Amino acid sequence: MTTLQSIPIQYYLVFCSLLFSIGVVGVLIKRNALVILMSIELMINSINLLLAAFSAYTNDPAGQIFVFFIMVVAAAEVAIGLAIVVLIYRTTHTIDINVLNKLRW
Amino acid sequence: MLIMRHELLLIAITVILLIVEIFLPNTQKHKIILPAILLMAAVTVIGFFPGTPGVLFGGMFQSTQLTMMFKNILNIGVLIVFIQSVDWLKQDQNKEKISEFFLLMLATLIGMNYMISSGDFLMFYIGLELATIPVAALAAFERLKEKSAEAGVKLIFSSALSSGILLYGLSMIYGTTGTMYFADVAPLITGVPLQVLAFIFFFAGMAFKISLVPFHLWTADVYEGAPVNVTSYLSVISKGAAVFIFTIILYTVFSKIAVMWSDLIYVVTILTITVGNLFALRQQNLKRFLAFSSIAQAGFILLGVIGQSQLGMTTVIYFVLVYIFSNLGAFGVVGIISNRTGKENINDYDGLYRTNPNLSLVMMLALFSLAGIPPLAGFFGKFFLFTAAAKQGYYILVLIALINTIISLYYYLLVIKAMLLNNSDHPIAKIRSDNYTRLGLLICVAGMVIIGFTSSIYEMVFNLSFGLY
Amino acid sequence: MSAESLILFFIVGAFLVGFAIVFSIFVAPTSTNPQKAEPYECGIPTEGLTWLQFNVGYYLFAIIFLIFDVEAVFIFPWAVVMKEMGMIAFVEIVIFFFVLGLGLLYAWKKGALKWE
Repeated sequence: MTTLQSIPIQYYLVFCSLLFSIGVVGVLIKRNALVILMSIELMINSINLLLAAFSAYTNDPAGQIFVFFIMVVAAAEVAIGLAIVVLIYRTTHTIDINVLNKLRW
Repeated sequence: MLIMRHELLLIAITVILLIVEIFLPNTQKHKIILPAILLMAAVTVIGFFPGTPGVLFGGMFQSTQLTMMFKNILNIGVLIVFIQSVDWLKQDQNKEKISEFFLLMLATLIGMNYMISSGDFLMFYIGLELATIPVAALAAFERLKEKSAEAGVKLIFSSALSSGILLYGLSMIYGTTGTMYFADVAPLITGVPLQVLAFIFFFAGMAFKISLVPFHLWTADVYEGAPVNVTSYLSVISKGAAVFIFTIILYTVFSKIAVMWSDLIYVVTILTITVGNLFALRQQNLKRFLAFSSIAQAGFILLGVIGQSQLGMTTVIYFVLVYIFSNLGAFGVVGIISNRTGKENINDYDGLYRTNPNLSLVMMLALFSLAGIPPLAGFFGKFFLFTAAAKQGYYILVLIALINTIISLYYYLLVIKAMLLNNSDHPIAKIRSDNYTRLGLLICVAGMVIIGFTSSIYEMVFNLSFGLY
Repeated sequence: MSAESLILFFIVGAFLVGFAIVFSIFVAPTSTNPQKAEPYECGIPTEGLTWLQFNVGYYLFAIIFLIFDVEAVFIFPWAVVMKEMGMIAFVEIVIFFFVLGLGLLYAWKKGALKWE
């Protein structure tokens, strides 16, 4: 039994769920575009931790490989997100997403 | 023939276009348009040669006759989008970014191809992200317009949120089953609470991508802000591919808990169709109008998903095929008018028939097809969907869908009335469309009419869908 | 792995780093002027706010760096299994770097690597 497995899996589940919820709440209530990007990272990282924990418990490497790909995809996502935020900053000189109200129904 | 033929060909032409783009001087960028379209046309044609089904990477990538056909459908759709965008790409503001448009589109198409052929959640996730992330860049394509950048931000944030939610579900599925492969996961789905939670997360993530109703809020904003051609791409091809793989995963991986997701989809279908239609009623901007109408159409597609039958799978694919031609036709007309005059409101279309009879005829056919009026293809698409749901005993659902079809007919007819009957002091001036636009619209019209009359296509899809669920 | 190879690794590593530093001294353009020799922040009040926002150029560099840096995550697992897999692994990594190189070439050609 490794160190990782000496902690019950439920702890990981609860901890990751908390991190994930903090991330989701951050995305939903924060008004600063960069903070939103950081919250998305928090969500993704909680998932990574959960996958790694599951992977250790089931003795199956697939979960950890998944983590690699998630990291790369998250980086790509953030790169595009950051690029568009910079674009918004250039036209409006703010990164507060409340200025994004040109589109309303 | 090669198992991964579609993907490899697309990757090849993407790399070729990227190399050409790197070495092409800035003043010559427009020369890439014709080769790009020809290459895409060649790939589309080659895709139709019969291929061998098979499995690669130990089951991560699986190619069947059905996925091959769906890839062909997507190829056709992208080809039409390419042809329709030429007029827009030739504008001054886009002159330097022409090849980027093609590259990003092809990247998303490759992503979709991998997504629909995936036999493993890892491949599925990578394909999904590859199909989503470049679209955000495309939505922000007209970067000097604030609306476009705003659409890009909204798209990337909502898609990042949704893929996070989806991943959370996937990680729980992995935790409870210990594997990522669809085939291995399926027998281990027993409906324990964690799996139910996982499924709900997965469903929510996919519902974001398909823009089903509780998760549709990003759709209208993004569709309005993004350039018309990107909107048409988003509403037709992205959505079609997502629906396809969603159906496959529901049928193969989650078939054991079908009782549960049937109820969920039942509610979501009613909500999606009704809300989509009611909001479409009050829209003035045509892009927004088509956005809500496409939400409603996504709800109709779910009618085929709910039954979990061969018939359901067939009708979903058939409807997507029909929907590609109908919606691209409508968006093609909106696109050319928006590009030339900047007018996007329904009122602006008053008296369009006097000045631009051909465009208004295409628009009329497309809207009739979307509404589901025989003998156009859209009618058969909807008819088969209703049949599939009715055969499974969902009569009330079909009734609600029928009522909604009538509501949708009303608002589609509003646009047609504006074009044909209303008089305007300042109608849109006569538009001389170039050959590309004409070709694009012609393909759409041909598709709408021909698919409606040839039953063999439906039978072909039906035979291919056998043994999938 | 024996101790010798570890020592060799350190020597080669130190040499490579040292070489890069020394090489840059010779190659980089140097200019000296009186302003450069002046002491920094010695009683001279700063102009404007100190909470300056970073130049937008930093973000562009950061984005490009981020993308290429993260790709390294694939190279480590590759390096672990490379010996067992043999030629296929080599071909795969060549394709991988070809695509990455195309991306870098594209960024270069678009002027994204230029500091403005």
